[in-house]
Parts: sequence; C-alpha cells; structure tokens
Amino acid sequence: MTNKKFRSKKGKERASLIIIYAILILISLIWLIPFFILIIQSFSGGSGMASNTFFPKSWTFENYVKLFKETKFLTWYGNTMLVSVLVTAVQTVIVLMTSYALSRLRFKMRKPLMNVMLILGMFPGFLSMTAVYFVLKEIHLTQNLFGLILVYSASSAMQYYICKGFFDTLPKSLDEAARIDGASRHTVFVKIILPLAKPIVIYTILTAFIAPWGEYMFSSFIMLGDPDKYTVAVGMKSWIDNPTLASEYFTVFCAAAVVVSIPITALFIWLQRYYVEGVTGGSVKG
Amino acid sequence: MANVSLKHIYKVYPNGTKAVNDFNMEIEDKEFIVFVGPSGCGKSTTLRMIAGLEDISAGELKVGDTVVNDVEPKDRDIAMVFQNYALYPHMNVYENIAFGLRLRKLSKDEIHNKVVEAADILGITEYLGKKPKEMSGGQRQRVALGRAIVREPKVMLLDEPLSNLDAKLRTQMRAEIAKLHKKLGTTFIYVTHDQVEAMTMGTRIVVMKDGFVQQIDTPKNLYSYPANKFVAGFIGTPQMSFFEGTLKKHDESVTIKFDFSDSEITVPYSMLYKAKPAILDGKTKVYIGFRAEDVSIAEGEQEKGAVVNVVVSHREELGSETLIYGDLCGGSESAVNSKIIIKDSGGYDIKSGDIIKVALDIDKIHLFDKETEQSVLPRIPEYNYLDCQVKNGKLKFHGIECEMPSAIKCADVDGELLLPVNAIVFGGKLKADVKTCEQFNGINLLMLSLNGKRLFAVSSEKIEESTVNVGIDFKKITVVADSKTVIEPIPETNSFDCSFVKRKSVRSIEENGKTQNKKAVEFGFMAEGVFFGASDESAQKIFSALGVKNAFASQYRMECSIYDIEVSDSGIPAEVNSILDYGECKFLKCTVGKNTVYVKSDKEYGGKIFLSPNMDKIGISEKERDIKLI
Repeated sequence: MTNKKFRSKKGKERASLIIIYAILILISLIWLIPFFILIIQSFSGGSGMASNTFFPKSWTFENYVKLFKETKFLTWYGNTMLVSVLVTAVQTVIVLMTSYALSRLRFKMRKPLMNVMLILGMFPGFLSMTAVYFVLKEIHLTQNLFGLILVYSASSAMQYYICKGFFDTLPKSLDEAARIDGASRHTVFVKIILPLAKPIVIYTILTAFIAPWGEYMFSSFIMLGDPDKYTVAVGMKSWIDNPTLASEYFTVFCAAAVVVSIPITALFIWLQRYYVEGVTGGSVKG
Repeated sequence: MANVSLKHIYKVYPNGTKAVNDFNMEIEDKEFIVFVGPSGCGKSTTLRMIAGLEDISAGELKVGDTVVNDVEPKDRDIAMVFQNYALYPHMNVYENIAFGLRLRKLSKDEIHNKVVEAADILGITEYLGKKPKEMSGGQRQRVALGRAIVREPKVMLLDEPLSNLDAKLRTQMRAEIAKLHKKLGTTFIYVTHDQVEAMTMGTRIVVMKDGFVQQIDTPKNLYSYPANKFVAGFIGTPQMSFFEGTLKKHDESVTIKFDFSDSEITVPYSMLYKAKPAILDGKTKVYIGFRAEDVSIAEGEQEKGAVVNVVVSHREELGSETLIYGDLCGGSESAVNSKIIIKDSGGYDIKSGDIIKVALDIDKIHLFDKETEQSVLPRIPEYNYLDCQVKNGKLKFHGIECEMPSAIKCADVDGELLLPVNAIVFGGKLKADVKTCEQFNGINLLMLSLNGKRLFAVSSEKIEESTVNVGIDFKKITVVADSKTVIEPIPETNSFDCSFVKRKSVRSIEENGKTQNKKAVEFGFMAEGVFFGASDESAQKIFSALGVKNAFASQYRMECSIYDIEVSDSGIPAEVNSILDYGECKFLKCTVGKNTVYVKSDKEYGGKIFLSPNMDKIGISEKERDIKLI
C-alpha cells in the first residue's frame, strides 16, 4: 500500500477561507481608505491639501465651525434636503404605481412601452440638458428649486424595472382573491401588495433619495448664477474650482463631505432591516 | 344561492386561439358541478370567466337573473378558492377571513360573529391568531375555504383546491368539502383534473377537452353511457380497454371481429339494436370498449358465450381485487389496440404468459366510430332505420302503408327510410304497442312495436298505456335509394349572410308645440341589401364580443327557424319556387340569392314576395371564427 497523503477536508476549507478573507480585507481597505482620509482631514488643523503625513500634525474642530458659520453650507444643505425629500416622495409613488400597472394590467402597447422606457433610460440624462434648460426658462423655472424637483422626478417612471420584477414574483392569485373579496385595484395595491413589497419600497426610497442628494450636473446648470439656490454638490464644487480657494477651503470641504454623508448613512442603517426581511413566506404553498 | 346560466360562452384570445368554445349550461341552485378535463382544456378559464377574472369574448353569463358579463368580480356575489390558497401572508387567519367583510363595511361585532362561526364550521378556531406561513397545507386550505364561506356567496368557485395536498389529506378534504356543500346549500362549481374527485363529489360533471364540452351528465351516466371515446377513456379507473374492430350483422346475430387478433365473437342482434345500422356492415372500423369489471375470467356456462382468448402479460394485486393485464390472442405484442384489463376478485393462479378464456359482457359494450370517436351505440338513437317502398304516393314500411302528403313528390322506389325518433308523433292513425319506456334526463325513450316490428320514439311525458296511436311527421323523413337521397327533410333553420351596420336616421319629435328633428343612430343587420333594426341588447352583445371596429368589418350569419320568418310587405326579396303542402301546414320554398329558404305560411303565394324574420328569435354568428353571438 502506498502511503498516500490525504489532506483533511477541514484544513482545505480553512485555507480557502483565509484566501477569501484576505481578498475581502484588501478590497475593503481600498474602499475605506479614501473615506478615512476624508474624516481625518476634516479634523486637520493645517490648511491646504499638500500634507506630508497621513495623520495631521494638529487636530481641531475649527473646520466644522467655519463650515456652519462662515459659508452658505447650511442654506445649500437645506436646499438639497428639500429637493431630495420631495423627489423621493414623488418618485417612490410614481415608480411603485408604474411598476404595479406594468406587472398586473394587460393593455395594448404594454411591451413596446416597457422597451421604449428601458432604451430611453440607457441614454445619460445630461444629453437633454440644453433642451431641458430652455424649456425650464420658458416656464420661468430656472434658478428655482421646484424646477430642479421637476427635472429629477420627470423620468421616475423609467425606474420601474427592478420594482416590476419584484411585483411579478408576488402571486397573481393574491390580487384575484382580494378582488373577489371586494377590493378595488387601488385597495389591492395599498392593502395587499404594498405590505408585501416592503423591501422593494425601501429600495425605491433609498435610490430615489440618493440620486438627487449627490447630483451635480443638472443642478449646476439650472442654478447657475444664484449661490443661494445651490445644492451641496454645486456649492462645494465652487470652493475647489479656484486653486487659491481650494487650498484654503480643502479641510472645510472634507468636513462638508462628512456632514453630507450622514443622512444617507443614517437612512440606510434605519431601513436595512426591512431590506433583508422577506415577507412573502406562507402566502401560497411553499 | 342562485342558479348560473352560461349561454354560448366563448373565450378567444387576441391571437385567435379559442380556449373555450360555445359553452352552454344551466346550473341549478344548490348543485355541485365539477369541471373536469386534462390540463389546457379550458376548465379553469371557464371558471375564471364566471368569477370575472377573465373577460368573456362572447356569450351570456347569468348569476341568478342578472347578466353579469360586465360586472366586476366583487359585485357578482361569488367566492373563489384558489389552488395555491392565495392567503394574504401579512395578515393572520382572523384578518384573512375578515378582509372581505371589512371591505363590505360590516360592523365589528357582526364581523367577529361571522368569522368565529366560519372558523367553527371548519375547525380552525384555535389558529385564528396565526399567520399563514405557520400553518400546514391542509390548514391553509381550510382558511381559504373560510374566507370564501364567510361572505355567504351565491356561488362558490373552487379552482383545483386540493391539488397541492398529499393523497391522504386530499381524500379527507374531499369529504369535508362535500359535507360543507350539504351544510351551506350553496351552488358549488369545482374545477379539477382528477376524475376520481369529479366522480365522488359532483352532482353533475362537465367533461372538457381542447375547449369543447364533451359531455355534461351525472357521474353514473358518464360512467355507463360515455358520449365519445375521450369521455370513456377519461372517466373510470382502470381505464376502459379499447379494441379496433368491425361488426357484421347476419339476420338476428352480429359478429364482432377484433383487429390485431384472431378473436371473433357472435352475439344476438337484440343486444345491439340501438347501434347505428351503418356500422354493422362488416367494413366500418369502430372502437370497441369494455370496462375492466365488465370482462371476467370465463367459467363453466360462460365459456360458450362471448369469449375471447387472452395472453396474460402481468397482474397487479390491489388487495381486494386483482387487475390482470393481457393481450388478445393472435395480436402482436406492441399493438395498443388489443390490450385488455380484467378486474377479478383474485384467487386464480394465473401467471404471465398464460392463455385464459375471458367472457365479455355484451350488455355493457361501448362502441365508438373510428373517425369521429363519437358513440355509435347511443342511449337515445337518433333515427329508426327501416326498409321501405314508395309506390303511388304511398310509403310502405313494416308492412303498413301511409299516404304521403302532396308536398313529397317521388318516383316509385325501394329504399331505406331514415325516420327520426322525434318524427313519430302521438295521436295519429297507426296503432302501436308500447314495449318499454326508459327515461334519460327528462326524455322518455319508447320502444314501440308496430305490426310486430321495432320502432323507437321519444316523448316528453311518461307513457303508461300499453298501446298508443302514432303518426309520422313527413317533414322530417329521409328516404335513400341506391345511395341517392330521394326524399329530403325540410331544414329546421334558414340562414342568410349579413353584415352589422350603423344607420343614421332623423326623427321628428314634437316638443312644446315645436317640431324638432332629432338625429339618432340605429344599429342593425344588413341582409340581402335590407336593413333590420337590432335591439340595443343585441348590438351590445356584438360590440362587447368584437369591439367597435371589428363589429362593422366582420361578416355574420343570421339564422332563423322556419317558423320564425314570415311573408310581409317589405323585407328580403324572395322568389317562390313551390308550395309544399304537408297537410296540417304549408311551406313556401323560395330562393333568396343562391340560397333556398323555407317559410311556413297559411296562404299560398306565388312569384315575388318579401320575407322578414322575427328579430327577437334570430341567431347571429360571426362567420370567420364561427362564434355564436346571439
């Protein structure tokens, strides 16, 4: 008998786990380091971005004080919050209703409509920027936050795809049972489908909030020339456009970036438990 | 608590596929109807049309006395149980059952009482607080039933409610649903693909295949008198054994010859007298069917009767009985049409490969045409087939002579008389003895003896006398001589091609002393260039079936009975060819375009006349897809 060496299954598993974790840690470092630099720089006492050391030489809270006291950041923050919240509300409602209609109702041109929306969605939105600007100008909505809300939520229906996919997985017989029980389409949607679609509602809210929160291109164009109407992205960009201003405002910029990231992080932490939770179990045989 | 009436119901999909074809049925109050058939036969679609979850392409659906074609599901007063239960997963059992009641805005106490009562009936009181996912399949199905019964609907619809349960639970729930039906006294419509469920639960069963209704009857009648080969094979386990073969009649006996084997049996003709004579020529191929319990291993005396030799291929022990599978002797192993299944009480030492003698119970034979697969051994025969002689305007058959009405002109011939069973009318000059009187679904089939010869007749009333006076309705008879039809019956219906049109008309209406011209749009049918106004109801039916655009573009066929069309001042122009005098009534034979039209008339007309059908009694069909609309 040859003395063949068997590697234990356990050892093999451990080896592969070590490799997997090593790769994951490396990737997360690449992801996290810029964020750490941002946070650290926001507490840096020196000014300018040219720094020889990873950790700043002196620590200070001054950047945050300056941010709120000396700049228009708070106004911009309010602007952005207003736009994002309203866009989120409008977009969530439109996306959910469109998706439900496309998932459940059968009407003429349904397929072509879905395809057209999908293809249109593939073009970057800024292609239409000049045209949108002139249209807004005609209806006097340039340099106006509501103009921005209109632009952001106008194409909401095109986000139907993921949401419709989720609705498709909910059994149609639930709708039918409810309709026979006496519910109108609207009641079915509100009382049966929405409670079951919590994860996708959360997903829709999150994506709807994040997009306008960080959007730069449209708002820079529409709000051009009125610093009081800037959103955070446009305002902060104005600090680092000029090389002299940039070195003065760099640490403040970092502080602002940290403040900007707070709502999204909070929103995600609050909503993530619904995100994971599946609720369809037990509706039908399973 | 209502009857349901389906009239000419069709489901046609936009691509032209017909899922349900001309479904007609009257469902009585408190009946338990089962739709059964293989998957894709249209049974679920029909149920969903009754529920209002699918649009009805054409036809009329009534629940109680109201037409509900365009009524929302929630307003039809029906309840439905789904195959996958369709319980609302985020609500507990109590809320699930109460959901429908809450939408109907009942008071809290009322809801509570009803939910508790329903839960009590179904034995789910202890689960009221549970969520559906915490329950087993059987319990969930009970909740689904509870949700349906709590609203006290007029009609309960059940769409394969037991298919997701295991075999033991299914049997148990089957009994419970049957019990529930008795207790509630509601009309139940139940869809299943399982013929055992259908047979055990239904008061009547609808067998469907490829969108067509095959047969509607009680379980026992379906089993004993299947209308075609499909029903015969679908209903009953083990499946009926089919053989191809031919039948040949010699005087008073019939020889049955089985193909794919050397088996041949001879039986007295009296056992097959209802069979269509055309198949007894020894050439026409038929399917011969026997149920497993109607064939047995021959013993003693039986060996002389209808006995065939069978090679046993294998056997299945079922405990109380044994199924023996075999092939008719002389047949090839692979021939499907010589396989036979024998149900036996066991105790025989039979091994595979043995050759045994098997007795066939000819009283229980089933015969189906090979081409159409329809039964050729009907319970109520359509025609009496008799030899006859026409001489000097007199018809001679069964040794008697009848004067023919002047309408029938025929040279003297010897031929075959096809006398429909309903062409024998009571109260004529001929005296006949009543031999038997059998009743099937409200129709009485009489076997008469006329001059010592057999004659079938039907009557709506039960006849108890031993002799009756009968006559012959000459309108319905056919005489064939040398394979040529020499006397034809009058068709029952006339048909015209027509189109659906819109007509604008101006009506003068006097209002407050002023005469006002009001424009009105009228819908109607254009046949042979003549406009016939359609009722709003008819127009609505056509619009809902075809849509406004197609309604005017389609071609239609207008049908009316020969009794529902009359001669009038205006209407379809027609040319009278001849007047047919049948004694008690006269008919005008006219030509309209290329068609021949018959009209009942008391007066005699000649030359050109105008015909107008009774618009209340016409039938309208769409020509291209053959959909009966009105």
